[in-house]
This record gives sequence, structure tokens and C-alpha cells, in this order.
Amino acid sequence: MIVPDSVYGAVLLSVIDFTLSIVMITGIGFVLALFPLLNRLGKLDDETIRKSSH
Amino acid sequence: MFDQFLGFLQAMADQTGVAHFWWGNVVMIAIGIAMILLAIVKKYEPLLLIGIGFACVISNVPGSDLILPGGLFNYAYHGIELLIIPPLIFFGVGAMTDFGPMIAHPKLVVLGAMAHLGIFIALIGAKLLGFSINESGAIGIIGGADGPMAVFVCVKLAPHLLPQVAVAAYSYMALMPLIQPPVMKLLTSKKERLIRMKQMRPVSRLEKIAFPIVMGIVVNLFFPPVAPLITMLMLGNLFKECLVTDRLYKTAANDLMNVIIIILTVGIGSTMNAESFLTVKTIEIVVLGLIAFLGGTASGVLGAKFMNLFLKEGEKINPLLGSAGIASVPIAARVAHIVAAKEDRENLLIYHAMGPNLAGVFGTAISGGIMLALLGVK
Repeated sequence: MIVPDSVYGAVLLSVIDFTLSIVMITGIGFVLALFPLLNRLGKLDDETIRKSSH
Repeated sequence: MFDQFLGFLQAMADQTGVAHFWWGNVVMIAIGIAMILLAIVKKYEPLLLIGIGFACVISNVPGSDLILPGGLFNYAYHGIELLIIPPLIFFGVGAMTDFGPMIAHPKLVVLGAMAHLGIFIALIGAKLLGFSINESGAIGIIGGADGPMAVFVCVKLAPHLLPQVAVAAYSYMALMPLIQPPVMKLLTSKKERLIRMKQMRPVSRLEKIAFPIVMGIVVNLFFPPVAPLITMLMLGNLFKECLVTDRLYKTAANDLMNVIIIILTVGIGSTMNAESFLTVKTIEIVVLGLIAFLGGTASGVLGAKFMNLFLKEGEKINPLLGSAGIASVPIAARVAHIVAAKEDRENLLIYHAMGPNLAGVFGTAISGGIMLALLGVK
């Protein structure tokens, strides 16, 4: 166990986990902010995809 | 002759459940019936509460074979305990969900982490009450308001607390329309609740197909401890968005999901037996779970208000969206919409609230993954 089994450990775990969660999810937000760039690769038409699958 | 008759009666009575009935069973049966009534009369998440409530009633009738080893409810519980059901739930949820609102408004994604402060309030609270650090983590994760994730993390950290954690998580998720609004109203002004969000950009098919693939890679790369759940969520979503597996996605989103919900709800309800459930520890866990939900809702709303400090007039976000950052999809988004609609009927917040709500699923997974890693659990 990396975190000690004490109240101090619980506080430490909480601070690290909450901070890292915010950092990580902000990172995901940045990745999502880049998603519109995908549209430069081309366009997928829903009807064409559906027709080609039958 | 008379003695023999009495002996027969006694033997028969011993074979029924009547002889083993005690007041604890009455209390739990009343709780089960209350859940069923809330589902029918108040329409609070009937898909969850009917099954949980009924199985709770039956598991408190002594002599019921369904909850004993070999009984159907007992097998349902093993499905949860062996972590077969939670990934399948995520698979169905993925097939039902449009991640467009999350992709369209990445700025709101951070609310999916901000609304999880409740996890850590409950974690520290549990430790102060004398639970071990692993037990405290399992209790804290209730505040993520994500049933399958709570079950998953609890099985890894403190499997003996699974009945209490699962019941608290799913019951509070169902009761969110009661729990969240008072906190949301307390922390926001009428003016803030009236804020209307700008229309979001349309999200292309290419982006929607790329999303589950990218997220599948990211989650498996950075958060392997919780990857099974998010991977299944993304697989279900890919079936939906690729448009060429309609049969599979419809099965995952409807028939399979319905079967899994039945198994999940009766499995959870069957653990609510008075002997194991009516303990001081259970009461502590239930109270801590409530604190976690309240804390999470509050931190989400305050997080949104904090973001508003840095946003220009006209770009400010409705702080009610912060409460949707608590994961329970789509219940929390619906609650945010309803509270906003009470102030302004034409303020359609639901689509915007789905963004942080879906991000909350990832937020809980990330919190759970980091917690498992820090506690050295694989």
C-alpha cells in the first residue's frame, strides 16, 4: 500500500486524487477541443454509410 | 394423540419462515415497499427501484430460497460480485448514449471532475469513523454517483462492503431528484439559474466515431484499473455511432440492457437482508453516501460558478450544469434541466447538461483509477 492507513493518508489520497482527476479530465477536454480538426480529413455521410452496409 | 398433533404443527411451523421472523425484517420490508411506492407514485427511477425494492422485500421473508446459495437472486448477486454485470451495464449505456454534447463543449468537461469532491469528503469522513483506508475509498466512491463504477471499485477495495455500497449508490442515484435541488437552489441565485446557454456546434459523424476509439486508447493507457468499464462503454458507443451494426447496438441498448437491469436490481435488492444490513456500519455508510452526494452536487455548482469568474458576460455558463457533473447519466442532467425549467420553461438545459454529465462518468472512472493505483490495488 502506497498511502498510509490513517486520517493523514486519507487526506493525502484525497488531495492527490482530486488534483490529478482535474488535470486528467482537463487533458481529455484538450483532446476533445482538437476533434473539430478531424473534419479536415473529410466528411462521412450517414446515408452513404447506411447504404453501403446493406 | 394431541401431543403428536402439536408436534406436527411445531415441525410444520419450523419449516416455514414465520418462526424466524423478527422486527428487523419488518423494517426492511417497509423500506422495500417504500422504494416500490416511490417508483410508482413519484416515478423516481422505476427501472431501478422496483427490482431493488421487490428483492429487498423477498430477501426479508425468512425461508425465501431465492436468496440462498443456488437461488436465482443469489446468482444475480454473484454476477455483480464477479464483475460480470457492471461492464455489461456500461456496454448498454454506451449504446444508448450520444456523446455529442461532451464533444461539442469541451470546456464543460472539467465539471466532470469538479463535481466529485463529495467522494473525498466521504472518504475522509469514513476514515474518521474508523473504517480502513480501503473501506473508506470504497465508501467515498459512492459520491461518484455511478453505480457500476461504485460496485467495481468496492469489489476491488472492500468486497465485504459491497451490499451496503451498492444499495447506497443505486438508492441515492434514484433519489437524486430529491437530494440535489435544495443544494442547487441554495448555492445559486435566480439570475444564475436563468442563464441560457449558447447553441452548441453540430458534431460530425467522423468525430462521433473517433471518440470511442480515442477514449478507449486513452483510458486503457492511463487508467488500466478501471479500463474494463470504460472500454465496454466505448464499445457500445462505437456500435451505435458507426451506423453499420444497427442490430448489435439496438440489442445492447434495449434487450440486453433490460435483462442486465433486471439481474442488477434483484441482485442488489437481495443483499438487503435485515441480519446483515441493519448494522451501525450500514447506517454510517448510508449517511456518508448522502454526504458524498450532497458534497458532489455542491462542488459541481461551485466549480461552475468559479469558471464563470473567468468568462466574459454572454459566455457565462449556467451553474446548475455543475451539478450534472456528478456521473449518474442521465438522471443528474435531467435534474439540472428541471431546476432550470422551474425558473424559465423555455430554458432547455438538458442537452447542455449532458456534456458535464457524461464527463462525470469519465471523472468517476479517473478518480476510481487513481484511487486504486494509490492504494496499490490492481
